[in-house]
Amino acid sequence: MSAEAEFAPSGFSSVERSGRSAGNIAAAALRFGSLIAFAAILIVFSITAPYFLSVGNIGNVLGQSAISGVLAIGLTIVLIAGGSNVVTGGIDLSLAANMGLSAAVYASLTQLGYGDAVAIAASILTGSLIGLVNAIAVVYAGIVPLLATLAVMNIVAGLELVLTGNTVIPASTPILSALSASDPFGIPVLAYVLIDFTVLATAVVQYTPLGLRLYAIGEFPDAARAAGLPLRRLLAGAFIASGVCGGLAGILSVSYLSGSTTGSGEMLLPVVVTALLGSVFPRRLVPTITGTLLSALLVGFLSNGFQLLNISSTLVSGIQGLLILIVVSATTLLRRQEA
Amino acid sequence: MSLTTTKAANAGLHGVVAASLLRYGLILALIVVFAIFSAITPTFLTLTNLQSVLVNNFPLLAIISIAMTFAVASGGIDLSVGTAMDFASFAFVSLVLAGQPVAIAALAGLAAGALVGAFNALLISVIGVSPFLATLGTLFIGRSVQQLLTNGGNPVYLPPNGVPEVFRFLGHGTLAGFPVPLAIAIIIAVATAVMFVHTRFGRITLSIGIQPSVVRYSGIAAPAYIAATFVLVGLIAAVGGLILTATVTVYIPSSGNAFLLNAIGATFIGTTLSPLGRPNVGGTILGVLLLSIVANGLLLTDLNFYWQQVGTGTLIFAVLALSFINRKAGSGA
Amino acid sequence: MTVIPLKQPSTLQQDVIRLEGIVKGFGGAQALAGASLVVRRGTIHGLVGQNGAGKSTLIKLLAGLHQPDGGRIEIEGQAFDRLTPHLAEELGIHFIHQDRLLVPTFTVGEALFLGREPRIAGTPFLDRRLMQRRAAEILNDYFGVRLPNTALIGDLSTAEKQIVQITRALLNQPKVLVFDEPTAALVRREADILFRLIRRLRDEGVTIIYISHYLNEIEQLCDHVTVLRNGQDVASSPISETSAAAIARLMVERDIQDMFPKPVVALGDEILKVEQLSAPGKYEDVSFTLRRGEVLGLTGLLGSGAKELVRTLFGLEKPASGRIDIGGRPAHLSNPTQATGRNVALVPEDRRRHGIALDLSVKENTSLSSLDRFTRFGFLDRKSEQREVDALIARLQVKASGRDALLRTLSGGNQQKVAIAKWLSRHSEVYLLDEPTVGVDIGSKVEIYTLIGELAARGAGVIVLSSDLPELIGITDRILVFFRGRVVREFASSEATADRVLAESTGSPEGQRHVG
Repeated sequence: MSAEAEFAPSGFSSVERSGRSAGNIAAAALRFGSLIAFAAILIVFSITAPYFLSVGNIGNVLGQSAISGVLAIGLTIVLIAGGSNVVTGGIDLSLAANMGLSAAVYASLTQLGYGDAVAIAASILTGSLIGLVNAIAVVYAGIVPLLATLAVMNIVAGLELVLTGNTVIPASTPILSALSASDPFGIPVLAYVLIDFTVLATAVVQYTPLGLRLYAIGEFPDAARAAGLPLRRLLAGAFIASGVCGGLAGILSVSYLSGSTTGSGEMLLPVVVTALLGSVFPRRLVPTITGTLLSALLVGFLSNGFQLLNISSTLVSGIQGLLILIVVSATTLLRRQEA
Repeated sequence: MSLTTTKAANAGLHGVVAASLLRYGLILALIVVFAIFSAITPTFLTLTNLQSVLVNNFPLLAIISIAMTFAVASGGIDLSVGTAMDFASFAFVSLVLAGQPVAIAALAGLAAGALVGAFNALLISVIGVSPFLATLGTLFIGRSVQQLLTNGGNPVYLPPNGVPEVFRFLGHGTLAGFPVPLAIAIIIAVATAVMFVHTRFGRITLSIGIQPSVVRYSGIAAPAYIAATFVLVGLIAAVGGLILTATVTVYIPSSGNAFLLNAIGATFIGTTLSPLGRPNVGGTILGVLLLSIVANGLLLTDLNFYWQQVGTGTLIFAVLALSFINRKAGSGA
Repeated sequence: MTVIPLKQPSTLQQDVIRLEGIVKGFGGAQALAGASLVVRRGTIHGLVGQNGAGKSTLIKLLAGLHQPDGGRIEIEGQAFDRLTPHLAEELGIHFIHQDRLLVPTFTVGEALFLGREPRIAGTPFLDRRLMQRRAAEILNDYFGVRLPNTALIGDLSTAEKQIVQITRALLNQPKVLVFDEPTAALVRREADILFRLIRRLRDEGVTIIYISHYLNEIEQLCDHVTVLRNGQDVASSPISETSAAAIARLMVERDIQDMFPKPVVALGDEILKVEQLSAPGKYEDVSFTLRRGEVLGLTGLLGSGAKELVRTLFGLEKPASGRIDIGGRPAHLSNPTQATGRNVALVPEDRRRHGIALDLSVKENTSLSSLDRFTRFGFLDRKSEQREVDALIARLQVKASGRDALLRTLSGGNQQKVAIAKWLSRHSEVYLLDEPTVGVDIGSKVEIYTLIGELAARGAGVIVLSSDLPELIGITDRILVFFRGRVVREFASSEATADRVLAESTGSPEGQRHVG
């Protein structure tokens, strides 16, 4: 049956199609452009800093990216479920502060003599409570996510200060030491944690019906409503999941820094960049867990490479800012071209 | 027919009632806060303390919040107000250290702030990036640039004896009995309030914030107005940066960001207070007063210093929640 | 072979759907004033009516998206006060919406199974291969279509998206399928395939409600037809007992006959001239002139190109070729600022998004496009602004509590008057009115018609785009009918009748016209 020939678009619709393929080419250019840029960065660094592409260094980068990677994955879930419009859609600015408070809770509890189990449970609980507050503020009070999570960020950061008195609280427990150790090949355990967490998150977000539904409510709420999905519950769940990621990152950060330290807020912007940047890698140009991992590694390799080349690490923040603007400008111009 | 009109009228009435409840609720909250602080701290309700709020906490936050009010009024937000402050401050300090006259240095400072705004304007109006992302990017790049310029973030001090007299005046002098920073804040507040209500620019900016599509369909080049708004935001923030530098006689990299959340909070408190739910200078000033008084009161109590941040954060959160719940109710959904 | 096992009727009710005496109003405008719709099991039931007759409101009620103010709803013999989307679905009523509700970045399989995703046995994971296989099977069996497994919804043509949407509904084993203007974006061949499918579904026991503007389709496809007018059902009969012409007459008859107060205006100079204007895919080779004092009507179905032409004249879309002269000088209209600069005014169809701002006041809305007039050195002269606004409120009889009332508090008709007043304040010379009376009560409609006549009398050129044909004939001098991107017919309004214009715009006169 020559079904395709029978349905070949004719007349008016063929014009539409050629316009669309121009858009596709541009999209492909963006995608491959970013992959090529990633490869170019790796090549330049490996030529100028020979140690750069060694197994040990790659492990290092993975380990160093673990905390921001877990946070960025949390943010990615909110971006997926909330939609790509940053102001009205999904964003969670409280993630970094969440990590700081969760870490402080962990460290304080170990100081008080509690064991790892209690401390881990308390950190995760802290994270999920923060997520819950965000969920209620956004989904039920209807505050724009940007503003809601900005205010929650400030409260959480304040609570962290109250708890720690703006000092470093050292923490050392068996589990923390195990997490911050390296395996016999010199690869940090945190690297494995990041990989395992990515696999888990990918399995849930990219391979289950739940994940598919998160994409639906984020990208086209009307279609999701028409399909009978519970939009509010799913969106609330995304914010809580993001909160849990914050708690988890808190635990990792306690182990990485051997205690809770101040200045967790500094993590926020890199995490936002990482999650936003992640959507240029996948074919559909949507946020995905693996895309976010790739961009976390890109950012990780960038700062690592600068370190190896002895270039001021302060440049990294500027380059991240530029990356955000380039990516966002490119996608904006692209959408305009398609429209 | 009559059935549906009554329904619509009810929804409208309900919205009005909710809005006024909210507004009076906020004023009531202010009174309660005031009463609590005067009861638990003996020094709160003294002339010296209230004066110190007005002189120390109020002017800078007021200026930055007014800048933010313009960005929010145009339907956007500016996360880089602190960056504009910092750049103004840096340009000023560098030129003074290089022996330039204060007037030239101050002009250069204002220009630096406006330049930050122009960069945002380019991204938002020409390329079409959302204000949030554009100004977030500017914030990042600005932080990096400042660290590069200061060898990794070292403060740049003005030599104590080298501070020009004019400059000391700007930070610590008085004008017609008012401390100069307060006088400048009042002048800016009055000027911008007039701008919002009595100029074409103000009218169009507010209209864009309320419904950009209608402005476009009215034949107005909305992107040009949005661009001008962001340049203005940078310029006003730059004034704040100069006053900050004049007060502390030092430029500290990325110090302007401390004002960001409170400025957003004050702007939204002001929006909530307005009967039409519009961003407005008067409301913003009230918001700044509320935040400054709460911060001062918390400081005077014996509570841990850091509760201040939790307290103001919670207050802003509560105002936002009330304002959005009210908006939902008001729209008659 | 039936791929999808269809639910057998559980009861012996003959009428699947009985809606009786349904009443529904929106902020002062009565959308339904006692409308009834009775649909028999296993038939294709056509629902027709002009824009604003209440079709979409009735359908949204059935979908549970609106709640009725009064009337009876009975599905399968069971009475309901109101329906919810969930309940409608449980009852087996499914909708093929005009706006295709599919996530653009999903694959066909994902879009089809969203909400009822198959899992790999014994795991929580999506069975993507099964989804793809089933999608391919169903698409091939019902439509003879093969789409690549990796194709994303966003890459499909409009017709293909429509097919995916229908397939989604079929997966739900529907008892009732509602099609809302399904062929508006399809070419002839695609429409034929759709008709074959609809007949086959009926033969398999599905009840179909079919909404369309194309009366020839209704005649050709449906078993029974219900005609809505002004929110009421004015006729319901087997298709064998009626004809397209009879249906057209029923659709357009009016309660108020003398509502078109068209003054006689002497025509002046040519003010707008359009020559061989083309925008591929939208309209082709359009030429016409408009003179001062003239009211020119445009009409055509969705996608006919008339709306796109109006948008082009206001600088919202760019033509590929051709020329536009305004007042004898060539005009390059690449944005609304340039169009208003040449004194062109647009009163857009989507009033609440583009015409007026609900949260601005009457004054702010009215002066928005003419602020220059009230500005000295950047400052607003609020006195002269208020004077002008008050004068316009009085002249147009805008009913509002005052110039500072928010537009939100005004009725649709009064909002529309403000949308027009805004251009009067600017002294515009060419008025483009896009569906000027949609959602406007009868009283305000007449006032708006009077106003249009006045505009012409004062020397403006007016273009009215409307699908309300008696209105168009009543208030214009000439009418251009668009069909599939071209002007297919020009009528002098005095010689036009609603059914002739309708026949031209639906492509049903001498044979099937079709560009492709």
